[in-house]
Amino acid sequence: MTLWDMLVQLAVANVLAFGNGTVMAAVLQNTFVQQAHVLTNEQLLYAFALARVTPGQANLYVASIAYMMFGLPGAALSMVVIALPSYLMIPLLRSYEFVRGNRAVRGLTRGLASTAVGLLLATTWSLSKDSLNAPVTWMVLALALTLLVFTRLPTLVSLLLATGAGVGLILTIDATNGGGAFLQSVAALGST
Amino acid sequence: MPSPHAAISLRTLFLLFLKIGLSFGAGTGMSAVLQEELVRKRQAIGRGEFMTLYGLARLVPSGSMTALAVAVGYRYQGLLGTLVVLLAMILPAFILTVGLTVAYTLLAGSPALVVMNLTLMPAALAVVAVSAFRLGSEFFTPSLELVLAIAAGVGVLVLGLNPSLLLLAGGLVGACVLRDRSPEDGR
Repeated sequence: MTLWDMLVQLAVANVLAFGNGTVMAAVLQNTFVQQAHVLTNEQLLYAFALARVTPGQANLYVASIAYMMFGLPGAALSMVVIALPSYLMIPLLRSYEFVRGNRAVRGLTRGLASTAVGLLLATTWSLSKDSLNAPVTWMVLALALTLLVFTRLPTLVSLLLATGAGVGLILTIDATNGGGAFLQSVAALGST
Repeated sequence: MPSPHAAISLRTLFLLFLKIGLSFGAGTGMSAVLQEELVRKRQAIGRGEFMTLYGLARLVPSGSMTALAVAVGYRYQGLLGTLVVLLAMILPAFILTVGLTVAYTLLAGSPALVVMNLTLMPAALAVVAVSAFRLGSEFFTPSLELVLAIAAGVGVLVLGLNPSLLLLAGGLVGACVLRDRSPEDGR
């Protein structure tokens, strides 16, 4: 995949998803991970979560995955591609009265969003088959879900608490296994 | 749209969107800050006009926050204004995101990455799942929307259909069938 190919794919996904970063994730996972194999599920997950816990737009994770694939030029150009359709605002403002009365446009965005939710849950499902490969990963998932759904903690705090608990558990298991065998225990957990 | 409200200089636009770019809460949080600054603090735009811009921004096939930024930049300082606001809004978070991605790339092949895959990734997965459900809760009552979502999920998981095509189909079905169920005013 060339830099140009990546930019075209990003542009298409962005327009299809109406710029919603969450919605776009399903398309990008299919394009870059499943079809082209230029990105791993872990990389995509890292990027996605990163954009959720940093300030700014949620679709900035596109810069992160573009960097992983094509370095700084890729990341910078990806932002141009993502921002460009926004300029449709200018003609849209001029034809405001027409669009306002057009219910089909509203129906279109609702249809897109509902389809996207289904796609995204399906993507989550296929991502989970890769990520949930050891008991500790299930524990971290359960803890993170609990914190995100039932507490009002910021996403970053929930994410760090769950991750921290996982790291703590791994270190504890390591210590009880006779100490010093940190790498070994990690490898064992990974292969469970 | 003519307006009796105050003008905003390029420099002020730049500083304002720098602040917005560093706001948390993605599009929703950022547009709330923009509204607070423009409508209440500076009284540079009426609430009704702002909500119109916001509604229109949701119809543009790009992030609604970038579309809103273009609209505001253009309104006060023309095309140059749009470039200034986009740069100010995107650059800080861009640097942060790329910086943290570089850090991740540097960890490749180290034990730390193995631990991270076992701990951070499941937590990140939870973030993805929760944002999918939150997006859904905006749309879901037992309805055609729910049917679309389920059909899309089955289409991609069981039938292996292309997500882009499903998205397009969902949008078209929505445009044809969901039109009368939509509320009159934009959100």
